Amino acid sequence: MTTELQDPDILLVRYGELALKGGNRALFENALVRNLQGALKHVGGGEVVRRWGRIQVKPAGRWREAMRACARTFGIKSVSPAWNTERDLKSMIAMGRRLLENKLQEYPPGSRPSFRVTVKRADKTYPMTSGELALAIADGMLDEDSTVLIQMKNADIDFNIDLRPEGTFAFLEREPGPGGLPVKTLGQGLCLLSGGIDSPVAAWCAMKRGLKVSFVSFHSPPYIGEGSRMKIRDLIRVLAEWQGPSTLHEVQFADIQLAIREGAPESLRTILYRRSMQRIASHLARRSKTGALITGENLGQVASQTLENLACIGAAANVQVLRPLITHDKEDVIVLAKHIGTFDVSIRDEPDCCTVFQPRKPALRAQVPECEAIEAELGLVTLEEAQVRASAKEHIHPGS
Amino acid sequence: MALSCPADSMQPVLLDLAATSPLDPRVRECLIQHLDEVHGNPSSRHALGTRARQVVEHARRRVARCLGTEPKGIVFTSGGTESNNLGLMGSVRNRTPGRILVGPTEHASVRVAAAQLASEGFVVETLRLKRDGQLDLDHATERMGEDVVLVAQMLVSNELGTRYPVQRLARLARARCGRVHVHCDGVQALGKIDLDLEELGVDSLALSGHKVHGPKGMGALALGKNSQTKPLLFGGSQEEGLRPGTENVPSIAAFGLAVDLAHEGQADFNKTAEICQRNLEEALTAVSLMHQNSMDCARILQAGERVNSICAVHLPGPPAEVWQHHLEEYGVFIGVGSACQSASKMVSPVLLALGLNADSARQIARFSFSRETTPNDIGIAASALRQVSKSLKDLS
Repeated sequence: MTTELQDPDILLVRYGELALKGGNRALFENALVRNLQGALKHVGGGEVVRRWGRIQVKPAGRWREAMRACARTFGIKSVSPAWNTERDLKSMIAMGRRLLENKLQEYPPGSRPSFRVTVKRADKTYPMTSGELALAIADGMLDEDSTVLIQMKNADIDFNIDLRPEGTFAFLEREPGPGGLPVKTLGQGLCLLSGGIDSPVAAWCAMKRGLKVSFVSFHSPPYIGEGSRMKIRDLIRVLAEWQGPSTLHEVQFADIQLAIREGAPESLRTILYRRSMQRIASHLARRSKTGALITGENLGQVASQTLENLACIGAAANVQVLRPLITHDKEDVIVLAKHIGTFDVSIRDEPDCCTVFQPRKPALRAQVPECEAIEAELGLVTLEEAQVRASAKEHIHPGS
Repeated sequence: MALSCPADSMQPVLLDLAATSPLDPRVRECLIQHLDEVHGNPSSRHALGTRARQVVEHARRRVARCLGTEPKGIVFTSGGTESNNLGLMGSVRNRTPGRILVGPTEHASVRVAAAQLASEGFVVETLRLKRDGQLDLDHATERMGEDVVLVAQMLVSNELGTRYPVQRLARLARARCGRVHVHCDGVQALGKIDLDLEELGVDSLALSGHKVHGPKGMGALALGKNSQTKPLLFGGSQEEGLRPGTENVPSIAAFGLAVDLAHEGQADFNKTAEICQRNLEEALTAVSLMHQNSMDCARILQAGERVNSICAVHLPGPPAEVWQHHLEEYGVFIGVGSACQSASKMVSPVLLALGLNADSARQIARFSFSRETTPNDIGIAASALRQVSKSLKDLS
């Protein structure tokens, strides 16, 4: 008779790249522990302990939610729900049988999944080698009635024993983490967030490389409705599941758009809007000691995304601009957006920019001196400073 | 995040009442009273159950009386969408697939339900509008034949306010088709025109509560004597087995009252709506004068015989959604069928059916009234329209 498998005792969390960081390793590990503690806060909390190249998490709430939170923490390679077992062979075999029996329920009757045992022996005091122990466990677990086939490479079911000084852990699953570096270890970035598919993905890529990302959105009421503001917040709520509570700066942009619409050549409108956004974002970034702007810009995704236009827009920023998606194909960005969870929000039918502000034919090769002359004539800097002062700041929590 | 409305301090002027309407205070009172006092399951045989059953049957009689039909033909549902689905799918799914004729301006709950039937082997044909926006009965007659199993035509257009000749269409269908089921979406007609099921000659009529100051998530399908409608859900004998599941007693009671109030208030509402429409027309003339340099003018689309309480309005200059958000700043809320985007997928098929191009369709807003709309509301809207017109004059 099958017995109900109890909840795992711990989550074994493995981290990847940061193990290579030499002298900074402790810094990165501590950041990862802090980030994990933060991520767990929203799913019932739990204990996070660093031990010899691994992190052990003991969830206080539901373990599946805790595992999902861990698997969304940057810097983590994989997570395994694991069960404590005694160090003697008999106990390890008994645990293996229980886990295997439970796992086999996922397979249709009559199927013969492949199986292997893997032993990692961080505790070298154990009297058998890893290979000997794996063989002994497999031998003890399987009998002539077993429905599994032993297979050493790419086995469907991999029963793992992790022999460590602090205890012996058994597990089957490895949930992949996002990899990358712990958020905030490389500083802060400010993402110019629109309601489209690209900019949320760009923000996520920057988070993955260790930046804590805050957001700036440009809103143009009454040309654009409340639905667009909600959409921006919903996007940040999804991204906050990956990096924790996030800050949004909301800037009112209608006055600036109107000034450009009325006083600038139609073909340059979009370039001038974007240059204005870069200046405003730079202002906000400097104020919060943020080292980079992040945009979802891409080379050639739309006709106006030429090298010249990108350079002309970027020249308005006085903080470095990161464009993580610059060479990505749209299809690849969509795959990422689906993985992150922002895609379904991004495709919601809420406009970013009202059609009355859009030019019929945008310029393809905008020049900085021409733009600067128009901006000076329109007195954009004064308008922008006023909107920076009037901008509203909001904190958005995951699951809020 | 609070909904930002600069006009928070003032009472909003709701002119998007074909989308939904706030609860009538009497309906609210009825809802709360039944939430507090009626706890029984209408299927239980004890006193509490019997009391709940009485409430449901009283509401059923109320709705039936307003439709001039028998209570046993009233099936309570979750609203217009479910009623339309039950009316279409429930009436023909058990039959050999044949042709289905669908009105040209139907709500998505009819259009998409018909599309589902098409994927199940039925052949769906869409009827046509004449140039004046009225249903082309000659074309409809041509399309009729023995193999037509279902005709679905709304009574009042939710986007244009056009009143369609359902009675004549139903008679034509009876004469020219074999065993045909005639379904009518009456959601926008309730409380605006007389609904007599027998007089209309339809086999099913869909109603919704929240369009007439009733509760959301509540509606009904009224079935004619000869209807052979089958359930879409299974697992209970409630509503004669056509809508299994424990009845939402408080909402049913509130819905019964809302339908009754809509029916009683119909004549007064239509008189007020006529005045409101006239005042709106005057306001639009003033807007047109302000835009006289442009080719556009503000006007109500005259799409055949209409009810006064739903006006599709062409607004000059930028897309209607821009007007909508500007009017919000003055506390005036109107409806817009299509979003402020250039993608043509967003344009209302109903407006396209009327012969408008995509750009013109984006300039159509909807002003819709309920019995709570007053000429004073239109006065406030007129003033807001003039103000907004000033700021939008140069944008197009």
